[in-house]
Amino acid sequence: MGGVSPEIEIVQLGGELEISRKREIRDTFVLSENARAVLVDLSEVTYADSTALTELLRFCVAAQRDRTPLAVVIRTRQFARLVQYAGLAGAFAIFEDREGALAYLNERIEA
Amino acid sequence: MDTRLAQRRIYIPLVLTLVFLALVVVVLVVAGRQVSSTIEDAFNAATEVRTARFLVARAISQQLDEETGVRGYAAVRRRVLLQPYYTARAALPASFTRLRPILTGLRMPGTLAVLNDAARTNRRWVADVAYPILTFKRVPAKIHLHGKRLVDRYRRDMEYVEDSLASRASQAQSRARRAIYGVSLFALGAVAAVVLAAALFTIQQYRLAARFERARVGAEEERRRAAEIRSAYEAEKRIADTLQGAFTQNLLPQMAKVRFSATYLPAAEQARIGGDWYDVLELSQDRVLLTIGDVTGHGIDAAVAMNRARHLLVSCALVDASPGAVLQRANCELFRNGSPLITAVAGIVDSRSCEFVYATAGHPPPVLLEPGSKPRMLDFGSLPLGVMKDSSYRTYRVQSVPGALLVLYTDGVVEHSHNVVEGEALLLQAIEAAASWPEHNAAAMISASIFSNRRIVDDVAILTVRFGDDAGSSVGWVA
Repeated sequence: MGGVSPEIEIVQLGGELEISRKREIRDTFVLSENARAVLVDLSEVTYADSTALTELLRFCVAAQRDRTPLAVVIRTRQFARLVQYAGLAGAFAIFEDREGALAYLNERIEA
Repeated sequence: MDTRLAQRRIYIPLVLTLVFLALVVVVLVVAGRQVSSTIEDAFNAATEVRTARFLVARAISQQLDEETGVRGYAAVRRRVLLQPYYTARAALPASFTRLRPILTGLRMPGTLAVLNDAARTNRRWVADVAYPILTFKRVPAKIHLHGKRLVDRYRRDMEYVEDSLASRASQAQSRARRAIYGVSLFALGAVAAVVLAAALFTIQQYRLAARFERARVGAEEERRRAAEIRSAYEAEKRIADTLQGAFTQNLLPQMAKVRFSATYLPAAEQARIGGDWYDVLELSQDRVLLTIGDVTGHGIDAAVAMNRARHLLVSCALVDASPGAVLQRANCELFRNGSPLITAVAGIVDSRSCEFVYATAGHPPPVLLEPGSKPRMLDFGSLPLGVMKDSSYRTYRVQSVPGALLVLYTDGVVEHSHNVVEGEALLLQAIEAAASWPEHNAAAMISASIFSNRRIVDDVAILTVRFGDDAGSSVGWVA
């Protein structure tokens, strides 16, 4: 993606995140050592079961524990509601588009 | 291997081989008939040619007899010497007459024309040469010279006819020979093809037999493994069912001014105990602890984790009065023990004041329906239990009214279509419908309304509380 700082790692998934995609989800939600910030782009996700939400939560918590700025992009209404259920909205930075998320992360990196 | 597929794999090469053999037989029969006809034609042609050549030789001889007779008579003028002339003269036309249809039958029009020319030449010789010699005592020398030219011409014509017939005989023989060679080669090819087809069929059958054997062994192994898995699954299910039966709260408290109902439906497909639970515990005459939650996963592990979590919540509720503090304390304990992720709602209902104090942890929000209003989702928030050690859980306070219906539920109630927005709308409709039948089991009505024509893809637990002011009507239900 043009204009994205190489220090920002982008993690992206789409569609319905279910237990059948557990390995893919687990492989995707891996924090690289060099990343100074992480953008989790879930704008194309429409559903996530509890297994997928657990993986997402663990990834977000791990990033927070490592003091790596993290922003999550969520666009679909139904997935946004699920994320609200999971309490992510209060604990992490959620954005409706990449631009907002990138601006947030760039600010954190500069700070 | 699929049986139908296996049968097709057996029969297709067999049928193809048989079809191929049938084609070979048909082609052999047709070719044989063709060759037989060609040989018969050649034989007939050879017979005809032989007859024609005999007649040609005889016609040459007869003409020679005519000429000899006439020459002898011209030399000595004795009529007895004319005997060969007259004999040949009488027989020669018959020779031509017999030759013509034979040449026509042999399809030799050019040769027939030459034969006719020879016949005409003979007639001219009779008219121009024989007749003057027999009629006059002396004939000019030019007549004799003319006679010689006509005789030469006649012989050239007849030699041509003879050569043509010889060539025709040779052609017929060649055709017959070629036909015999052709059919011999084809027969050899057919035999080779049949042998090849039989060999291929045998190899194919051998390979199929080997494949069947592998498939049989594989299927047997698969059956054995499936039986083992089924056996293990059934054992786990028996244990899980036993645990489920032990964990389900069969009897809800009966209290004045408040009525409970609950339902638990396992997922249709998994037939395994889920991690969903609900609990209603009477803390005092007016206060009741409600918990509802869901442990990630299924099976015995989830059931054990669920049981530990529900008892932990009760224990914490006995220490802390605030639901937020209850969840916080339980979270620390669960996190410390490496618990799976758990979503939950813990709340305290005061039946006297119709107050509901609660906290949520990653769980869908409670719904409250008050008389004269539409059902509404209550505030909620915070992470599930077991995710972060220092998660905080806010305590919410709702002041309700008599006649209100409070509904707590697990995610299976709203996520059946994977569209939680749609699921929430259906839940609100179901709650509104159930609220108009206060004397009925609200939890059972809500689940029936949502799942009467939908598959239960995840465990479903529903717990309802109806606030009332009629002390005598409080009854506890479990569906």
